Amino acid sequence: MRRFAPTLKGLSSFMEPHHFFTAQRVLIVAGKGGVGKSAVAGSLALLAAQNGLRALLVSFDAETIAVPAHERLEKVVVTPGKALTDYLASKGMGLISRQLAKSGIVELVATTAPGLDDLLVLGRIKAFEKELRADVIIVDGPAAGHAIDLVRAPLQLKRALASGPIAQQADEVLEMLGDGSRCRVLMVTTPAMTPVQETIEAATELRDDVHIVLAPVVVNKCEQDVPTINTSGMPQELVDAYAYASQRTQAQRDAIATLHSSLELPQLAVARRRLEGEELVNAIVEDLVAAIETLS
Amino acid sequence: MNDSTIDAMCTNARVLVTCGTGGVGKTSVAAALGLRASQLGRRVCVITIDPAKRLADAIGLTEALGNEPQRVSIDSIGELWVTMLDVRETFDNLVRDTSPTPERAREVMENSFYRNLSRSISGTRDYMAAERLYELSNDERFDLIIVDTPPSRNALDFLESPERLARFLKHPLVRLLVAPGRGGLRFANAALTPVLKIISNIVGSDALTGVAAFLRAFDGMENEFSRRALAVAATLRSNATSFVVVTAPSADALNEADHFVSELKRLGISLKMVVANRMPPRFGATTSTAEHLAAASSSGDLAAAHTLLAAMCEDSERATLGIEGFIARTRGQFADVPAASATELPSDIHDMASIAVLAQQLAAPQPRQ
Repeated sequence: MRRFAPTLKGLSSFMEPHHFFTAQRVLIVAGKGGVGKSAVAGSLALLAAQNGLRALLVSFDAETIAVPAHERLEKVVVTPGKALTDYLASKGMGLISRQLAKSGIVELVATTAPGLDDLLVLGRIKAFEKELRADVIIVDGPAAGHAIDLVRAPLQLKRALASGPIAQQADEVLEMLGDGSRCRVLMVTTPAMTPVQETIEAATELRDDVHIVLAPVVVNKCEQDVPTINTSGMPQELVDAYAYASQRTQAQRDAIATLHSSLELPQLAVARRRLEGEELVNAIVEDLVAAIETLS
Repeated sequence: MNDSTIDAMCTNARVLVTCGTGGVGKTSVAAALGLRASQLGRRVCVITIDPAKRLADAIGLTEALGNEPQRVSIDSIGELWVTMLDVRETFDNLVRDTSPTPERAREVMENSFYRNLSRSISGTRDYMAAERLYELSNDERFDLIIVDTPPSRNALDFLESPERLARFLKHPLVRLLVAPGRGGLRFANAALTPVLKIISNIVGSDALTGVAAFLRAFDGMENEFSRRALAVAATLRSNATSFVVVTAPSADALNEADHFVSELKRLGISLKMVVANRMPPRFGATTSTAEHLAAASSSGDLAAAHTLLAAMCEDSERATLGIEGFIARTRGQFADVPAASATELPSDIHDMASIAVLAQQLAAPQPRQ
């Protein structure tokens, strides 16, 4: 419900997208496969850009969802190999790093220090944040299980290596991850019990082990509630269809209630759409605007 | 043919591998295929890599079980066992099996690099999944192993991981690190030493020393490692192994399924079946969407019910179109590959009863698509 013009800043009690985004500089979007994580990440980046912020959308592989172009939206792909090359270049070893990449040494290095690839990717994101490359950095993170590995990597590396450049890099990344004014994790789920429980587990681990501050949870692909219908005397197919749809509605309600009671986080509801690519992203943006307004 | 395609596959395969992206119900399908095969009299073990907790609960898996397969108590003439991959334990067993002496095994396992490696890196997980498959396929308790691959785009990496590990162990730099101690790295191959120095600069000298110690402790074991790696690779590529791509009708799931099909083609592996899971159910096959829409134009409960059913019919038609397109594209690469489908249940799979419903749907004779 939009009762106030967005320009009445400060007079309204609802949150504006601008404030939602400036609460932190890095927003890592995480969620298991099939929940629409990439579409949500793309929509968040676009929404930030539409609200006057310079947005940077970071993804881990080139095969991401099509996000409509915007003058303030920049997209970048960060891979471990590229992060390593950049890191070496920053240490004055640019020429060597290109030779190393050819000799397959990147793999050896990554194997030498498990989790190093994850750390390098986070290190690159931290560098973007430090150099103020954008007002808000949206990271289209890996799937839920791997998101935990990702943010845990610096912690594990620090345990394995007491000193040296990697330990130092890990320290700097941990500092960013633990500071809610710099970085938060936004979990994406769908309103079904299995993804909800996985989200609860992942969120709890992120909070307790890595001391990450969590942003509101996006509940994506919400189906419209089925209205109450008295089907007595109707043809069997209508009775069956209604019974099925009602059960789905109830299952969705149960999942949302479980999410709410287990994770005390605000929820941003996004409707399920039968759209693809840029159309999907634009539709999610609309829902996000309405949902963010309900936050206080 | 009396048997459904699924039944034929469940009767004949030695290894079944399900692949698909997250959210398509791949693990449920793996469990359902396991259940079906056990009903056909086979002794089945389903390995899952990273199951959702609810599903793990449904099939009686708890984390405390580690690597040891657990028998599911069901009423069937065969047997259904399930196990979750424990990377650490698998690696430990492998080290114990391949090391020349118990002392050497202990040396490897106490190495700090090994302790980190065996837990955390994803490449290790891929390789251990393949290794575990090899162990279980040689386990006399089972005559069918079903592998539920991790829900990632790179799930098929595990197919190449044995070769990759074998290659890694033969890498000149690795050989250099292994080169017997005398003065450590200083006397090693002059041409490669600068490269090691650079690595040392990047990861720190502690880390490199740890790796060198690990690889030295490991020395002599790598031939056996490589031999097993190649045996695993051979099993995966043989006719006894059947690959099943699982998808759901959503656009993103279908894109990923296309990717898996192309990957299998690239790897020279044949696809035995595609499963369209989570299809919206079709109620009232005799009436059309248009009829429901017409009936929905009045008011009251009847109109509301027709509106609802019209929307559900539309959903079902869209899903069917999407799946038909996918099957046609897949058959362009793998001619005549059979397809099976199952509908989305009103609530997600959370017990053996719902897995049984899924198994029944998959095994039902499928309309030729």
